Amino acid sequence: MSYQLTIEPLNQTIEVEDGQTILDASLRAGIYLPHACCHGLCATCKVKVVDGEVDHGEASNFALMDYEREEGSCLACCATLQSDVIIEAEIEVEADAQNLPVQDFNATVTRIENLTPTIKGIWLSLDQDIQFQAGQYINFHLPNETTSRAFSLASAPAAKNEIELNVRLVPGGKVTTWIHKTLQVGDSIKISGPYGRFFVRKSAAVPLLFLAGGSGLSSPRSMILDLLNEDCTLPITLIYGARSLDELYYHADFTALAAQHSNFTYVPALSNVDADDQMWAGFRGFVHEAAKAHFNNDFRDHKAYLCGPPVMIDACITTLMQGRLFERDIYTEKFFSAADAQQVRSPLFRKI
Amino acid sequence: MDMKVAAKKLGLKERYAAMTRGLDWETTYQPMDTVYPYDKFEGIKIHDWDKWEDPFRLTMDAYWKYQAEKERKLYAILDAFNQNNGHLGVTDARYINALKLFLTAVTPLEYMAHRGFAHVGRQLRGAGARVACQMQALDELRHAQTQIHSLSNYNKHYNGFHDWRHMHDRIWYLSVPKSFFDDAVTAGPFEYMVAIGFSFEYVLTNLLFVPFISGAAYNGDMGAMAFGFSAQSDEARHMTLGLEMIKFMLEQDPANLPIVQGWIDKWTWRGVRMLTIVGMMMDYMLPKRVMSWKEAWEIYFEESGGALFKDLARYGITIPKCVAQATIEKEHITHQAWTTFYQYGAAAAFNTWIPEKEELDWLSEKYPNTFDKYYRPRLEYLGEQAKQGKRFYSTTLPMLCQCCQIPMFFTEPDDPTKICYRESDHNGEKYHFCSDHCKEIFDHEPEKYVQAWMPVHQIYQGNCFKPDVDPTAEGFDPLAAVLDWYNIQFGRDNLDFEGSEDQKNFDTWRQTAKSNG
Repeated sequence: MSYQLTIEPLNQTIEVEDGQTILDASLRAGIYLPHACCHGLCATCKVKVVDGEVDHGEASNFALMDYEREEGSCLACCATLQSDVIIEAEIEVEADAQNLPVQDFNATVTRIENLTPTIKGIWLSLDQDIQFQAGQYINFHLPNETTSRAFSLASAPAAKNEIELNVRLVPGGKVTTWIHKTLQVGDSIKISGPYGRFFVRKSAAVPLLFLAGGSGLSSPRSMILDLLNEDCTLPITLIYGARSLDELYYHADFTALAAQHSNFTYVPALSNVDADDQMWAGFRGFVHEAAKAHFNNDFRDHKAYLCGPPVMIDACITTLMQGRLFERDIYTEKFFSAADAQQVRSPLFRKI
Repeated sequence: MDMKVAAKKLGLKERYAAMTRGLDWETTYQPMDTVYPYDKFEGIKIHDWDKWEDPFRLTMDAYWKYQAEKERKLYAILDAFNQNNGHLGVTDARYINALKLFLTAVTPLEYMAHRGFAHVGRQLRGAGARVACQMQALDELRHAQTQIHSLSNYNKHYNGFHDWRHMHDRIWYLSVPKSFFDDAVTAGPFEYMVAIGFSFEYVLTNLLFVPFISGAAYNGDMGAMAFGFSAQSDEARHMTLGLEMIKFMLEQDPANLPIVQGWIDKWTWRGVRMLTIVGMMMDYMLPKRVMSWKEAWEIYFEESGGALFKDLARYGITIPKCVAQATIEKEHITHQAWTTFYQYGAAAAFNTWIPEKEELDWLSEKYPNTFDKYYRPRLEYLGEQAKQGKRFYSTTLPMLCQCCQIPMFFTEPDDPTKICYRESDHNGEKYHFCSDHCKEIFDHEPEKYVQAWMPVHQIYQGNCFKPDVDPTAEGFDPLAAVLDWYNIQFGRDNLDFEGSEDQKNFDTWRQTAKSNG
């Protein structure tokens, strides 16, 4: 049977399977806990158990002292739950995190539109208002099945009972194929959310940089619409890359927004256009190359939000760091999978 | 009704900040540069110490409590081990020679690390870095102490443990680890942090600790295993301090990158050279082997180090050039080192031996490309000679590398049958090196390395005899006089394991423990 684990100071509750360690469950839920050796020797992952019972497992007597056990500490990499548990971990408190509760919604499809040859826009009307932070995602449940998939919310939080998802057809992907081939206007489905800790650090009040590739535009779009709705006056730059012009969606909308708002700059980039193609006057190359050129390799004093395929994220992080913007100012929609916890990874960076 | 509103609880980070706030005030009686005279000359530019992210947030109160309980546990295990004559439970007495090497070569480095971190902690301007360095300074002192206590029990029963501190400053092969640390502590504070905090504690620590501590566990040494675990629970803090320092320097100013890169290159090579001795211990001195040096290098350097350098590449750091050579040499150096120690076994404070047949087979299996081709025939020949009563001891002194101070036994990276010699001229003097990388280190700072205390030179200059010795006297035996100055007792601490006092005593005592005789 599974128990609930609440992680303070995030005030976030996750499910933990029988025999699953606190560390494994947290990483899978996208919550980074400091860790190193992963087998109870180094004590990097020590956390406080505020309430509930844990089994200390293989924790070394030198890494977790008796007095610490009595005072309610445990090593997250070894500890399993014996009841519902609340832990307090060494996690930065995010002033901008709203920690909104996850809820289940019944949704009706109101509109389906082909945004590009491979991406569909899906509009859902909800049976009750949803509160979310721009950048968060929902889980989309297939009817009569336990399978669900995460999709970022592409619309701004202001429209409370209608949400928009942008779904790319993943070759061989069960859920995206079903959405592309079977889903019809008028269908009812179930979603749950909001999830995720990808949101704008508004309290920092520094210029914002959004780097998006492919269908990774959803979260940045929601974030930018939200900021502009709130009359944000800080400089906002969106660098959005696609292979070709027909894959570049919402291009006209962003061009119009940039014309309306003097603080918003839109830089589209195409990576796969013929050199003699006269139709495209914008940047030719990848997102990170466009960013480097646009900012003249100097990203200092920004906060950057990255969303897109892993190779794009990787190239962008390197480019940002070479342009002197570092981990503390870079945010990605990174999910730590169980494989991440096991693969050889240096502890140099925590969240990127 | 008036409700009591609970104050918002501070997060761990805020609580720690509140506790350490204001420890880095601006001095007014004296200018800051006078109070902190050493943190600028290396060229590292720091603009904002507040950007330092505390790699761990441990308070003194918690620290004492934590370490006190560790000490209680460690000493309880040591007491039980000693009272049970645990030393008779180790695989065989050859293992104990690994401990002699550890006590004379590594334990004094723990003490030097204590001094180094205490010094650097005083010299850095940022409060976060200072507090972290001071904590590590205390850890290192504790490590030195627990190792001395753990190994002191062996001194009651075996030779070679009796004067480790004295030996560390004198014996030829111990000048290798000693000069490594002397090089680090005489550098500026930022170089020290890269040398010890990063290269040694992070990049190379697993190659030192895992073999020794797993080696202890595999060979039935509960005492050494206990101090290993007790120290390892501090290592995570030490590693994160080294990593934070690297990130901090690289993020503070782009001009820091080439300086930091130079130090990473230098200290990776310095560390790799010094670890030759550890690799030799893994492959030759543990009766029950954990893994080969080659395997350890592949797991802890090529795999883990590779992941680290992949991340560091984002800052523009590249993998040190020397890694290519170290990767070739992983199949050679331990065999070359042990063969050298075997031949100089009269001048070492531990016993040496030729591995038994099944041990040679193990080495053949672990080193399929090199062992049978280059090294097994030599060892078998030396073993055969010993059986015929012609155990070989070299009585001349080897040339040493001016940088790493290791005898010049390493071979050319592209030819394992040819000894590698390099040299540089400085102020009319010639200096010799074991490799391109040691030569490069010298060429970058010749004024520093010409001052090195080279054991062989010192012997030839007559500086390694006791004060009352007369080298002009008839029948003067220089080797005996040097061993006397080392405080190595001839025939007890040195020579072959076969026929040694340690071998005989161990067998007798173990027999006594198992029988009524």
